[in-house]
Amino acid sequence: MHSSFSPSRIWTLAMATVTQLLRMKIMAFLLVFCVIVVAAGFAFPVMNPEQQLKLLKDVSFGALQLFSIVMAVCATALLLPRDLEDRTLYTILAKPVPRHEYLLGKLLGVLVLIGAGLILMDLAFSGVLWLRQSLVLAQSVNALQQEGTATPEAIAQLQAFVGKQGLTWNLHLGVAAIFFKAAVVTALTLMISCFASSTLFTIVISFLVTLIGHGQGLIREYFLTGHAGAVKKGLSALLAIITPDMGAFDIVDNVINGQAVTLTAFGFMATTAGTYLLGYAVVSHLLFVEKEL
Amino acid sequence: MAADSPQPPAVAVENLTKVFKAGLGKAAFTAVRDLSLTVQPGEVYGLIGPNGCGKSTTMKAILGLVIPTHGRTAIFGRSSTLVESRREVGFLPENPYFYKHLNGLETLLFYGRLCNMKAAELKDRAREMLALTGLEDAADRRVSGYSKGMLQRLGLAQALLHQPRLIVLDEPTAGVDPAGSRKIRDLILSFKSQGITVLVTSHLLEQMQEVCDRVGIMAHGQMVRQGRVDELIAVENETELVLADASPELLAEIRALVESKGQGAKVVRSGHPRTTLEKLFLEVADQ
Repeated sequence: MHSSFSPSRIWTLAMATVTQLLRMKIMAFLLVFCVIVVAAGFAFPVMNPEQQLKLLKDVSFGALQLFSIVMAVCATALLLPRDLEDRTLYTILAKPVPRHEYLLGKLLGVLVLIGAGLILMDLAFSGVLWLRQSLVLAQSVNALQQEGTATPEAIAQLQAFVGKQGLTWNLHLGVAAIFFKAAVVTALTLMISCFASSTLFTIVISFLVTLIGHGQGLIREYFLTGHAGAVKKGLSALLAIITPDMGAFDIVDNVINGQAVTLTAFGFMATTAGTYLLGYAVVSHLLFVEKEL
Repeated sequence: MAADSPQPPAVAVENLTKVFKAGLGKAAFTAVRDLSLTVQPGEVYGLIGPNGCGKSTTMKAILGLVIPTHGRTAIFGRSSTLVESRREVGFLPENPYFYKHLNGLETLLFYGRLCNMKAAELKDRAREMLALTGLEDAADRRVSGYSKGMLQRLGLAQALLHQPRLIVLDEPTAGVDPAGSRKIRDLILSFKSQGITVLVTSHLLEQMQEVCDRVGIMAHGQMVRQGRVDELIAVENETELVLADASPELLAEIRALVESKGQGAKVVRSGHPRTTLEKLFLEVADQ
């Protein structure tokens, strides 16, 4: 019997997707990112230690979010229409490849690429942050010594403060949250591209839905507790249903401010992302399986 | 031929109708209407007809790429809607394109993995197919640099890679020069000798006549005529007699004999048979 689910076929499709995107030179963004991080890390030496480290984290997390969302939308929006236009899809689906495997392969390929990109950027960011943190600590201890206030207590307090604002495991959890959000946006974009008539339409709608998704909490609140009319409430309810709750992954500000992310919160994010991925993948399959090629 | 064989037909299309829905306010388009055809194992079947007559839609329905509105299609007895029906099919679409970022060998390895071929077997088979289609020297070149003819040959290589029992070729000679076209014709004949079933569409009717056991002629989404090639093209009330080195006197005698004892028969034409432009081109090109 022919297997209707073959991890090796899905992996083959995923790796082809990764290679396809890599050879489109999209990872050049990584170089730009490194330049931004280094610039943010060393460009403002006159600020106080807290501001310097915070600025570095702010800029780096901003670039990480930008990379992951742009990659999730643009790379995913290109894949399906291009395969259809080039008729590559015919030769693939004329082989014993179920349509859901094709979709999963594409989805996995983009996720692997975003994940690998985020890991590399996280490494670069961590390296620069650690270096900056060491320099800031050395400078601050030096300043205390010159002022004659370098008591063991003061140095310990300084070390604790810089350590909290510097490199911690929390930062990696923040990067993981960015990955979860990008994964949801990737699955959403793939679903839209299954019925969209053009790449541009897919990109515009995906960005729009992602944007609305960031305010989904407000919309939901308005729908549940507001005193608006039936039409407004209906519209709010519809938006709350069709857009993903991007606010569920917004822990980056807390991470930047040095607040710890609990395992419960992290688990909730992972579960939410998994649920959205599954839901969008199922709807994508239902749309794609009926698509006339 | 396996007309009496107990095994199921290689391709069975029964009352296939395909209607494409149109956008709001537009009429639906019927691409194929109540079409039936059967291709027996080992047979070479040609589907011919003008552009837009529904040939490609029929092929896509056979391959499960479009879902019939009515009727059914099957490959070796398995419904085309089942993925497993495509295990024994190789498909070459019209003007095929492949991932431009891969080279020739990588392309074949990619398609082989999709067919769950084992790594060692796949590499050997891919090399073999590149040699068969004359792409050995281009194996390490990116597909983006391939000519139209090379893409067509690579398409043929990927269709043959997993040793299918049925090969579906949609305009295999489109954009290929006469020598390449002749090579594809020879390949189809070699498939036939190996017992591989071939379903092919082409605008080169002379080649179709050379390679096909049976043909179906489509027009406006319907099957207009189908049958064995030699039966379809035979002119029932004419007889051909080809003589070599006949003198003018002998020809005059034959003509006189027909006139005197022909009982209504007459000589319609006589003269030198002509070769084809394709054969002439290939002879000159070979020299």
